[in-house]
Amino acid sequence: MKKFLAVVKHEYKKVVLKWSFLIGTLLLPFLAACFALVPFIIFSLKGEPTRIVIVDPTGKIEPRLKANLSSEKMEARARKAAEESLKDFTPSQEEQIKRGSEQIVQQFEFISYDTKGALTNDIRADLNSMIVKGEADAYLLIPEDVDSGEATFEFRSRKAGDVVVNESFRQALDDAVRSQRLADANISEDRLKELTHAVNLDSKGIDEKGVERDSGGTYVASFVIGLMIYITLAIYGQAIMGAVVEEKETRIAEILFSSARPFELMMGKLVGVGLAGLTQLGIWVASAAVIVSIIALQTDMSALIGTLPSISPLMILYFLVFFLLGFFIYASIFALIGSMVTTVQEGGQFAFPPVMLMLVSFYFSIAVMRDPNSNLSFWVSIAPFFAPITMPVRILSETPPFWQIGLSFIVNAATIAGLIWLASRVYRVGMLMYGKRATIPEVWKWIRQA
Amino acid sequence: MAEQTVTLSVRNVSKRFGDFSAVEDLSFDVRAGRVFGFLGPNGAGKTTTIRMIVGITVPDEGSVELFGQKISSALQDRIGYLPEERGLYKKMKIVDQLRYFAALKGVSAADTERKMDFWLDRMQLSDWKKKKTTDLSKGMQQKIQFISTVMHDPDLLILDEPFSGLDPINVEFLMDVISEFKTQDKTIIFSTHLMETAEKLCKDILLINKARKVISGSLREVKESYGKNLIALRATGSEAILSDRSIVAKTDVHADETIVHLNNGADPQLLLRRLIDGGAEITKFEEVEASLNDIFIDKIRGNHDNQG
Repeated sequence: MKKFLAVVKHEYKKVVLKWSFLIGTLLLPFLAACFALVPFIIFSLKGEPTRIVIVDPTGKIEPRLKANLSSEKMEARARKAAEESLKDFTPSQEEQIKRGSEQIVQQFEFISYDTKGALTNDIRADLNSMIVKGEADAYLLIPEDVDSGEATFEFRSRKAGDVVVNESFRQALDDAVRSQRLADANISEDRLKELTHAVNLDSKGIDEKGVERDSGGTYVASFVIGLMIYITLAIYGQAIMGAVVEEKETRIAEILFSSARPFELMMGKLVGVGLAGLTQLGIWVASAAVIVSIIALQTDMSALIGTLPSISPLMILYFLVFFLLGFFIYASIFALIGSMVTTVQEGGQFAFPPVMLMLVSFYFSIAVMRDPNSNLSFWVSIAPFFAPITMPVRILSETPPFWQIGLSFIVNAATIAGLIWLASRVYRVGMLMYGKRATIPEVWKWIRQA
Repeated sequence: MAEQTVTLSVRNVSKRFGDFSAVEDLSFDVRAGRVFGFLGPNGAGKTTTIRMIVGITVPDEGSVELFGQKISSALQDRIGYLPEERGLYKKMKIVDQLRYFAALKGVSAADTERKMDFWLDRMQLSDWKKKKTTDLSKGMQQKIQFISTVMHDPDLLILDEPFSGLDPINVEFLMDVISEFKTQDKTIIFSTHLMETAEKLCKDILLINKARKVISGSLREVKESYGKNLIALRATGSEAILSDRSIVAKTDVHADETIVHLNNGADPQLLLRRLIDGGAEITKFEEVEASLNDIFIDKIRGNHDNQG
């Protein structure tokens, strides 16, 4: 047992302390964090307020516009947008909404301007020179006939690229003009809202217990989970094969076999590399959780969170269990191949069958996403070799009854027992056979003999 | 007294791979505190026998007893095995490799550090501790492999061609280390083709060929049983007498002397008398023992002849 642990520790360190592992493990969350956090940081940087001149010959739009850009109105709008995706707000989210709205409001500073009854063209020229001189940052020219559909609102700004400010301003103006037009047409604003409310297409899946589930982002998430397990299995399977071939190629196996039992050595290798894979997945899952919760604090992004499927801790446990099942299935096949061949290149040719199996599993997982309850989905999520990739996808798409998950676990665990039995027999003979690649009949003989 | 204790006892051991018989009914004892030369040509079955001793493979028939017990995982910790075909992890630091090999032999972490520093210092490789295998020369790698063989202070040391690839200075150095083990009452099994080295180091020898034992016993016994029918001769005008096949089996002409192989049972005195009578001028006439090399070649050839 002590020797087994020594092997596990050795194999684990060998994988984890490699640069490729460190980069692979940390780079992915880092990139994800960049995508999620950088916009957040940039937008929260407080710029200089934009000084705006509003020229309103009607005198009706300007007060409405200013009211819309007050912190109360901004907050109300942000809250409404967030409500579409979130039902309840946590206190911190409340705080975020408030702070975000205030920040936007502070971005606007209105400069009063007296037109002195001048012509529009003269006003425009004067305002342009103000902007050139730096006395103002932007101006808005409101047309006389607001109600006309062809009325153009001229907005000129030195900061045309400031998306946040421009967008908030455009919305506020939009609302202001619309409410003025409604008022002019004698239509109650509330009545209009009722009439023009968008159809609410509630698209949710219903699982077998009749509980509603969100299906929006589930498809994407299932695909990501399937792909992630597939890639991780392929990478770690090949890593196992490489490590086995190295010990055979360098003849270290001879020294190892004189110190510990081949079974201990092989299992130690599988467990050590498996733990390394689990470490990597663990770091990815943890950083994903952190990133998602940071995004959740952002009001602007809260809509995005609403589309993510809810992943319970139990599901994460299932994913890890099925990852491990897949790992031991494919790792023992790769260990078997590694002990048959003499070089990594030769191993590459023999790796075709397991790689093919993994690829087919991944394709099956796409079928499972589309119809998680079909007969095909049932069988491929139970079957050995396929289940490690298809079952997690099925669990995420639409969690099957527990007995199916349990059955899948038992079937695949039994497969592992059989594969390890085979692999250990090939391993202890093959590792000491130098010079030439073993043929299939030879390997068959080793299996029967040992 | 220690010399009487048997460290290793191999009894009627056979190992076959399909139709090929690698070891056939082999029996021998290795006594504690002695250097045991395990000799034989390539493909004689040495590596297969050693693998059965260290517990890598199991004999088809017969038994191997080490320190009076059947081989087990715990007993493996008392063996230090340096295989003929050996290697190190290419891209791993020396210190990590030695730690791993020591851990597999059940050495505690504290002991490992102490022993590792001691041996690296002795082998003058302390500066290379943090380096990777690929940075080391072939000879340095050999010495690292030797360290991994002795770091756990084994009671039985099995060295398969330990000197291959070493320069003469390192061979000398390693010989000193091996001699030291001898004085510590450790048992050493030493496998080689180099008969000169075997002759210098070994007290007992076992020669196998084609899976079977050819000769065994102490070096002294083997040499004595082989007889003193060799004469180192320096003479002029001896050619006619030496070509007489009734006494002389064959001659090996060396640079400054001729080694005369007498026929079995031939009397050296008779040859001397004939030479004098024949008018040869003799400056050296000495009965010599067969070298291990001679015995080796003779036995293996004889073996082939018997088969042929």
